[in-house]
Amino acid sequence: MIAAVIIVFVVAAAVAIVAPKVLTRQGATSTTTVTTTVTKTTTETVRVASTTTTAKTAAQATAQEQPSGVVYLKMGGATFPAPQYLAWIKEFMKEHPNIKLSYELLGSGAGIARFLDGTLDVAGSDPPLPHDLWAKHKGSIMQVPTLIGAVVVTYNLPGIGSKALNLSGKVLALIYLGKIAYWDDPRIQKLNPGIKLPHHEIFVVFRADASGTQQIFTTFLHKAAPDLWPESLVGKAPAFPVKKTGRAAGGKGNPGVAQLIKSNEYSIGFVEWSYAVENHLPIAALENAAGNFVKPSTESLVAAAASAAKHLPTTPLGDFSKDEDYIIYASGKDSYPLVAFTHLVLWTHYSRAKAEAIATYLKWVVNVGEKKTVPGYAPVPDSLKKLMLDAASIILKNSAG
Amino acid sequence: MRVRGFKSRHDAVFFLTLLAPSTLVISFYVLLIKVLSEYSAPAFQAFGPRLITGAEWDPSRPAYGLLPAILGTIATSAVAIVIALPVAVCVTVFLNEFCPKVMARVLSSVINVMAGMPSIVYGLWGAMVLPDFLKNYVMLPLSRYLGFIPLFSCTPVSGWTLFTAGVLLAVMIVPYVASLTIEAYAQVPAGVREALLSIGARPHLVCRELLKLIAPAVVGAALLGLGRAAGETIAVSLVVGNVNYIPYCLFLPGETVSALIANNFPEASSYPLMINALYAAGVALLALGFVLNVAGLVLMGRWRRLVGNV
Repeated sequence: MIAAVIIVFVVAAAVAIVAPKVLTRQGATSTTTVTTTVTKTTTETVRVASTTTTAKTAAQATAQEQPSGVVYLKMGGATFPAPQYLAWIKEFMKEHPNIKLSYELLGSGAGIARFLDGTLDVAGSDPPLPHDLWAKHKGSIMQVPTLIGAVVVTYNLPGIGSKALNLSGKVLALIYLGKIAYWDDPRIQKLNPGIKLPHHEIFVVFRADASGTQQIFTTFLHKAAPDLWPESLVGKAPAFPVKKTGRAAGGKGNPGVAQLIKSNEYSIGFVEWSYAVENHLPIAALENAAGNFVKPSTESLVAAAASAAKHLPTTPLGDFSKDEDYIIYASGKDSYPLVAFTHLVLWTHYSRAKAEAIATYLKWVVNVGEKKTVPGYAPVPDSLKKLMLDAASIILKNSAG
Repeated sequence: MRVRGFKSRHDAVFFLTLLAPSTLVISFYVLLIKVLSEYSAPAFQAFGPRLITGAEWDPSRPAYGLLPAILGTIATSAVAIVIALPVAVCVTVFLNEFCPKVMARVLSSVINVMAGMPSIVYGLWGAMVLPDFLKNYVMLPLSRYLGFIPLFSCTPVSGWTLFTAGVLLAVMIVPYVASLTIEAYAQVPAGVREALLSIGARPHLVCRELLKLIAPAVVGAALLGLGRAAGETIAVSLVVGNVNYIPYCLFLPGETVSALIANNFPEASSYPLMINALYAAGVALLALGFVLNVAGLVLMGRWRRLVGNV
């Protein structure tokens, strides 16, 4: 009996020790993420993951294995632009039946990771590539802003009817610092002379998960009120000081935040514009850098992007890592302050078939897609559409041979 | 059973057939511990004991402290079991002693079905209904009239609190705990009950004696329920508020270990060491479960000695 149990344990231990080595032969190099470990379970992807150059050749190989002339492009990443991307893809494939596009909703970080390990041909990412990562692949990696998205401040304030609140970065910073506790605080009241605000505690909602929305929101607070909102509180998962007061709660994703706001009277929070539009949430007008109170609209988003475009690289090969800084709280009297680009990340070099497919898609997005944005998104201004065309011609040129 | 020299070849084949799945089960467990320790090690190295005793969660520095989540898990599970256990015991006694036979059968099968229901069903219902209800009719009165008790000392601003999460967990584990205690109660030999009745015991006394007999099972059920409560993820993250500060009162928003993992895992790879910190949270949960189970076993052992061998 005991001997049998011992045998079971010994065999189990042996299996446990040997199995992972067989499964992930490159286990030692997979220090960063679990998602990569998952993709590495098949030996083929292990080989693909070793370097980005082999990744590209492997991607080419899979493309050439498609005999029927149908090209498959795997895209994936950011969830924020996904509704728009999926709408575009559907339209595009109707017109180009021999190009099959897919877009997986993975999140920006995972999208880039899978793009780098060769699983995806094109990545969608809300934030641009960080400077270090861009520098590492400089010359072989490209980024193009495809859409402008906005984050909106929304609230549940009974008794004010359909009037929209006016809010400034300074007031929002004080609310999220926990220093403004009541709705009828003179600093809020001053911005809203026509509205009688209730004497009630503000319930503050934030994102429970690390998210680009919070990055955008806190960047805005820092830029609009640098003396109140320090740089250390800028990020995807900032430690909002208001959490200490017990008047705050985190929701997971836009739906979680919206749910908290809907079911808590006297609450305030922020969600993506498209989500607020879909769910008919009230949207506050925000004070922009020029001192005007602006609501999100295609015009106010494009105005912000146009004012940021002056500072952006003129080629998709450039370093976009600072573009959030330029577009958030951008100058211009009509610019909505809480905006960001979402990007596609591409290689400069693909197999011939894939290169043509990607170039076709990029051109289609510029010529057709950007004119058909779904509510909640704005097309990039003309000066930035050129970047997509440039990227298309770079890909075609590099993949010619 | 002897390992060498089976009585027949059939026995040997039988043994080997059983060996494979047993090995698999144990190897999964060994693997789990191996992976957990491998991935959490960098976080423990980087942050040391602060990882467990720290209260900060700031990926930009990075600084990760799991104390608020661990305390939150303990608090919500404790609230859950404090509510669920008495309810489960009452249901058990009611079903067995007072309920008409037909109704008892219907009720107990309903409870069994409920125990097997996916917990997210309760979670969604709870998230819709509980926060407001509990805030207005339970938490506000409690904090007003029993505010001198430290755990009830703060006025709730919203319904999204540790207390709400605890109540939701209680709702989720009551059927499970009840189904265990009902089964234990039913397994008491009929002779014991007959003996009690023969000396003229009233239902009240019968219950008391029977409950004493099944006490180990009740404790076991409570611990299994606690384990369930501690591991519950999505439902809790919907109502707990997800705020990583050390709670000093049950009516504050808080966080639990499993909710923390669920909320942060998808984007964890964008931050240095966050994955490792989350694996460390997994280790903490495992350790918590281990302590609970050992405590439970010790308690049950004591009970058994106390009641003797019936």
